[in-house]
Amino acid sequence: MDTVTYPESKVVRFIEENFIPLRVPSDSKPHAEKFNVKWTPTLITLSPEAQEHHRTVGFLGPEELISSLLLGLGKYHYENDRFDEALARLAQLVDGYGQSGSAPEAIFLVGVCSYKRSHDPKPLKAAYEKLSALFPDSEWTKRAYPYRLL
Amino acid sequence: MTTEIKWRTEMDDALCLGQKAGKPILLDFFNHN
Repeated sequence: MDTVTYPESKVVRFIEENFIPLRVPSDSKPHAEKFNVKWTPTLITLSPEAQEHHRTVGFLGPEELISSLLLGLGKYHYENDRFDEALARLAQLVDGYGQSGSAPEAIFLVGVCSYKRSHDPKPLKAAYEKLSALFPDSEWTKRAYPYRLL
Repeated sequence: MTTEIKWRTEMDDALCLGQKAGKPILLDFFNHN
């Protein structure tokens, strides 16, 4: 991460604009134990109240890191019932990083957030249809499978 | 122009800054050995 991903100017800009960056050694006490860290790098999106919203383990290149952080931002807002903010972040991910590993979960969450905002089930079905077309083998397509009936 | 990430090193400091700025924290557990 230090030689490939973090030096990239767009990664620096994205993190500085959207996060308070915090680095802690993986054996630091009490944090590593509190967050059950077993391998590095472990990256966690935390609320300012120290609530965990998203986690990745292992190396991520610049594009995968930014898309994963967008998913983290989306989940941070979604889990605090800020659906408009969540949808904005998830749309940024799907539109800009649609082939990334984070995209299927983002599409799933777009459906869920849209439903929770409007109580209209159509976005859930739309999420399944988009997932089955773009990522037929994804875990998130399987999780959305019941929505085909809506 | 920012050329490198300005990592904080203290949890309490980062959480306090996050509350003031209305931003989440990116917590990176790294191997320092």
